[in-house]
Amino acid sequence: MVRRLLGAIPLVLGIATIIFFVVNLAPGDPALRFLNPNMTPEVLEQIRVNMGLDQPVHIRYVRWIGALARGDLGFSFTSNRPVLDIIKELLPNTLVLSATAIGVAFLLGILLGIVQAVRQYSLLDSVASIVGLFFYSMPSFWLALMMVLVFGLFAYQGQWFIQFPPSGMQSVDYAFLSPMAKVQDRLMHLALPATSLALVLAAGIARYTRSSMLEVIRQDFVRTARAKGLSEPVVIFKHALRNALIPVITLLGLYLPFLFSGTVFIESVFAWPGMGKLVVDSILERDYPVIMGGTLIFAMMVVVGNLVADVLYAVVDPRIRYD
Amino acid sequence: MRESRLTRSIQLAGLAMVVGACGSGDGGASRAAGPWMLEASLAEAGAGVPFCEEVTANVSAFMSQFEGQMPPSERYGGTAVVGSIGEIPNGMNNHISQDYTASQHQNFVNLMTLVQYDEDLNPVAYLAESWDVSDDNSEITFHIRNDVYWHDGELTDAYDVAYTFKRAIDPETAFPNTAFWTHYDKGPEGVEVVDSFTVKFRMRPHADFIDPWRATAIMPEHLLADVPSAMLGQHPFGMVCPVGNGPFIFVEHRQNSSWTFQANPAFPHDLGGRPFVDRYVYRSISEPTTLLTELLTEGLSVYIRPTPDQAQAILDSDAVDLLQYPFRDYVLVGWNSRRPQLADKRVRQALTRGTNRQEIVEALLQGQGTVANGSIPPFHWAYDGSSSEDVMSYDQNAARALLDAAGWVDRDGDGVRENASGERLSISIKYNDGNDLRQDIAEIMQAQLAEIGVEIAPTVVEWGTLISQISDPVDRDFDGVVIGWVVEYKLDDTDLFHSSSLSGTYGWAGTQRPDIDRLLDQLPLVVDREKAKPLWREYQELLVDEQPYTFFYFPDRIDGVSKGLNAVVMDSRGEWLNIKDWWISVDRR
Amino acid sequence: MTDAGFETSDLRVDPTGSGPNRSVGRGRGGVVLSAILPGVPQLLVGRWGVGGLGLIVWTALLAVLLTRWTRFAAGWGGPLDHQIASLTVVAGLLGVWGWSMFDVSRPAEVKRTGVGQWSLAAKAFEKNRIAVLGLIVVVCVYLIALVTPLVTPHDPATQASLVTARLVPPGGEFPLGTDHLARDVFSRIMYGARISLSIGFVAVGISVTIGTLLGAVSGYLGGWVDTVVMRFVDMVISFPRLVLLITIVALFDSNSIFMIMAVLGFTQWPGTTRIVRGEVLSLREREFIEAARALGFSRSRIILRHVIPNVLAPVIVASTLGIGNVIVLEAGLSFLGMGLQPPTPSWGSMVADGRDHLLAAWWISTFPGLAIVLTVVAFNLVGDGLRDAFDPRLRT
Repeated sequence: MVRRLLGAIPLVLGIATIIFFVVNLAPGDPALRFLNPNMTPEVLEQIRVNMGLDQPVHIRYVRWIGALARGDLGFSFTSNRPVLDIIKELLPNTLVLSATAIGVAFLLGILLGIVQAVRQYSLLDSVASIVGLFFYSMPSFWLALMMVLVFGLFAYQGQWFIQFPPSGMQSVDYAFLSPMAKVQDRLMHLALPATSLALVLAAGIARYTRSSMLEVIRQDFVRTARAKGLSEPVVIFKHALRNALIPVITLLGLYLPFLFSGTVFIESVFAWPGMGKLVVDSILERDYPVIMGGTLIFAMMVVVGNLVADVLYAVVDPRIRYD
Repeated sequence: MRESRLTRSIQLAGLAMVVGACGSGDGGASRAAGPWMLEASLAEAGAGVPFCEEVTANVSAFMSQFEGQMPPSERYGGTAVVGSIGEIPNGMNNHISQDYTASQHQNFVNLMTLVQYDEDLNPVAYLAESWDVSDDNSEITFHIRNDVYWHDGELTDAYDVAYTFKRAIDPETAFPNTAFWTHYDKGPEGVEVVDSFTVKFRMRPHADFIDPWRATAIMPEHLLADVPSAMLGQHPFGMVCPVGNGPFIFVEHRQNSSWTFQANPAFPHDLGGRPFVDRYVYRSISEPTTLLTELLTEGLSVYIRPTPDQAQAILDSDAVDLLQYPFRDYVLVGWNSRRPQLADKRVRQALTRGTNRQEIVEALLQGQGTVANGSIPPFHWAYDGSSSEDVMSYDQNAARALLDAAGWVDRDGDGVRENASGERLSISIKYNDGNDLRQDIAEIMQAQLAEIGVEIAPTVVEWGTLISQISDPVDRDFDGVVIGWVVEYKLDDTDLFHSSSLSGTYGWAGTQRPDIDRLLDQLPLVVDREKAKPLWREYQELLVDEQPYTFFYFPDRIDGVSKGLNAVVMDSRGEWLNIKDWWISVDRR
Repeated sequence: MTDAGFETSDLRVDPTGSGPNRSVGRGRGGVVLSAILPGVPQLLVGRWGVGGLGLIVWTALLAVLLTRWTRFAAGWGGPLDHQIASLTVVAGLLGVWGWSMFDVSRPAEVKRTGVGQWSLAAKAFEKNRIAVLGLIVVVCVYLIALVTPLVTPHDPATQASLVTARLVPPGGEFPLGTDHLARDVFSRIMYGARISLSIGFVAVGISVTIGTLLGAVSGYLGGWVDTVVMRFVDMVISFPRLVLLITIVALFDSNSIFMIMAVLGFTQWPGTTRIVRGEVLSLREREFIEAARALGFSRSRIILRHVIPNVLAPVIVASTLGIGNVIVLEAGLSFLGMGLQPPTPSWGSMVADGRDHLLAAWWISTFPGLAIVLTVVAFNLVGDGLRDAFDPRLRT
């Protein structure tokens, strides 16, 4: 395990290198973002110097990696803050959102998958598949916009009994709320974005759970368990599920990178101040340090997530050995 | 009740600051000289960990003495929430910022400028109580108010003004609007602090010399004087703990999410005293549909610049008003006259005349805009539309005739014109992604110009790439480009159309006309507006003839404003113009 | 346990059965009927899946041929896509007709002998009604994509008058309304089908090929090969795809369709690789692989003949999910302003461009959005059906 963890270091270094060169070799000049007709070319040059862009790429690379080793990600061009500070502020927001979404999605997906597998080819199975697929097939930004319009705007205009705040992480008067109201406020703001993200994921998880459940249910040991006279719930949940979850667990590792793209759209639509949007915005603004820092953090999260998935995989399936 | 809120949230901000400061703390102190930086560190410069902590404590302490002093009027109270697409880049740091939203907040919310413009665009007193101009227009002396406090309790004085000017002319600062000071004396004699509240500037007489003081917010010398100029961009002042002297005190900034400000009880009574709203929150929301939803569900008091197509939904709502006013930006298609097919001004004229700009304004902007024929906005004193109004109007036959005269005729019958050597009249128009209106313009020109035998290829390019392609003096890798300019009140097109700018960043069009050069040289030095007007008129006529750009339109600016928010004035000076006078109806608080 | 599991003796029986009424429709009457309306004889014997598919394709193409005769005829001399459209009509009509005739006149016994894995799977698939429905939708969408130039009422890029024909609601001259530039939404959706389908198909084709091979090799060989491949996979998979996509689109300064296909394809495969490897890891401990190894088969033979066929099921599931994923991801790129070059309409860019008008003109983004959903759902249904059909354990 420790060896695998150590093995991740060159991996992260490799990723960092790719990121650096992809970003820095792209055409376009970040300083030009500040372009304005009241500006002399000398000023533009000075901005480049202040950003460190006057140095050749290889020097910048060595400096960046060197700083990285010290845990320094540099300064944002546009936000005038250390990249690390920005990430420290935004990463927890993304983690809250995606952890909630993943939790809901796995719960929903696995349950749905089991039901579908147990009642294969029933009406319930078909309806669940189609509804799940419907959400899976929708561009997530579209689903999110629908959520905003339906549960934000129409609910407000129609004075429905439940209305959700359309955007943001908390109300503007959050600081003045009582502790209980604060929790409620946060949950209300979390509801729409987390649901939008979870709906997209749940369909995929349900599919995988269904498939692998179907395979497992037909295996000998399940038949044996049934033959022993165990009750159906015990057979399903105790014997079959554990085996059926193996491929589903790989999904966890697979979904981590997917969550990045997922959160980009959800964060944009719901004005959720998170990492996904930060990185995409910084690409469009050519804020090199933020692109590199943000991407690197994401990459590291995925690496760690995959390690965890591998370990889980070995835990649930004793046939797989890691040396 | 309200008073206790005030201090509480300032303290809350204090807490947030401590946390933030720890982050930037060791970051700022020992690692500021990171890979991008000069080998100096902010810690040595006296900033870093303690800066924000100390500053926030000072603000808290100073403001606590105003607790309990509540003006007894119905109008006070409530939170105004303004929503817009983006974050405020560079925050309150005027030294390095030029972003529109940022300057609005610096000038009207958190900081102060020396003068402001009234609705007729004449300068009026703000931080400067009054000013004198010497008879030969070579000296200007400002008398600063003596009752304006920085939010940490220091008095704002003439040294702050001098400091701000010195920073702005220091090349290492990279102050973006250097053109402000072209004719100011940048030597040691240039600025003189006469006494604590009097400051004098020397300059060459020139047009609109007071304008920079309307646009440049004064910065606190006592907090920033020790920071090396080149390091100003990394100082936590801008984004983490700004300290202003304006009507609103900074409370909290949440990256990519919100800025919270609090009414400043110490704001001078003569200037209106404490603003009516208790708090002002700026929210950045990137999706227009979400912004509209927030506005319609009363989550926002103001939605800055809804898309033209959202205007109808706002008009239909009972709870929201739509404000519409002419603004000073224009959209244009710039033509690269270095390209053989665009070298002839008749071709450029034909491209303009073959495009139905009026229809585009009516359809795409829902009528919220004015067709442009030059770079001067219609409300500006130098504007004179009489000469050019109809010359460039939509007329396909005129456009065809111009192209025929320039030698472009459809010789092979494929619907696209060729010149004598058989080259097709094919022009690519680049525009940046993420801007639907610009994409629409390129696509409409493609469809409309096809009718007069011109082949247009719309090409989308990412913004940064686009800027470097059109700005690189050697390559100029474009035929036409859809882009926009914001016009300052002080007009100067030298960088765009003067032949000396041919290889400058903005010499996109590659214009070389001695008559235009002569006017551009002459105009900035004419102090008297009445003498300048005929020259400006001549200039506008020359531009129409030359057609370096197809000037498209001046879009009106529209803003959605909640009916619960009163006394809102918005015009070409900006949306935040009179934020200190906004007040919220009691039932909407 | 046998190798691929497909030749297990108890499955050798024709699972679809062949009752007496299965022969109805064959013979002279069937041939005549088939000559007029291909697909109907199959429908009559209860093979509604293939029958329905054949009939729908036949009638649809015939309708195109009859109603758009002038465009069809002109198509031969027109631009490439026009020629392809006309060719599709001819080939489709002849193909369906020929297949039906052949199917009807073929002796029943010939069909019985087909008990290989593909024909077994096909029969199982045919029983799965919802999957067949998905297949019909997919085929129809492909047909539409191919014959688009013949059937669209308007040119997708041409604008009607901006003043009068802008944001027209669905109905009348514009069946699905017009967009903010006065272009016909219906025609644009039909043209968009080509773009979105090609992107999905090519990208997934690239990714599945790379992914399966790498995954099988890596999982089976293990050792340093596995380490190297999986480190590489980890690296690619850890790199947020959107960042790569956007950066490359910006880097190459072109949003051409080929670029987007290639980039999507070359960033999609690691998922497949992981799935395949996961399967192979537990597969290689199984007896029949041990047996193959003991028999001295070469590694490449074991991988190609014994390992890969056994991991096809999850790969197919992954690729159907993948096609959906790619079509939806392309929409996401458009949302971020990184979509295809206009005026090329892809469904994704239509949804993204129309979203500003959701309140005033819902039809602009809703219809292409539905087109995406319908197509992606159909692909997934087909994939699910195939998966079930391929799996001998599920053929009951």
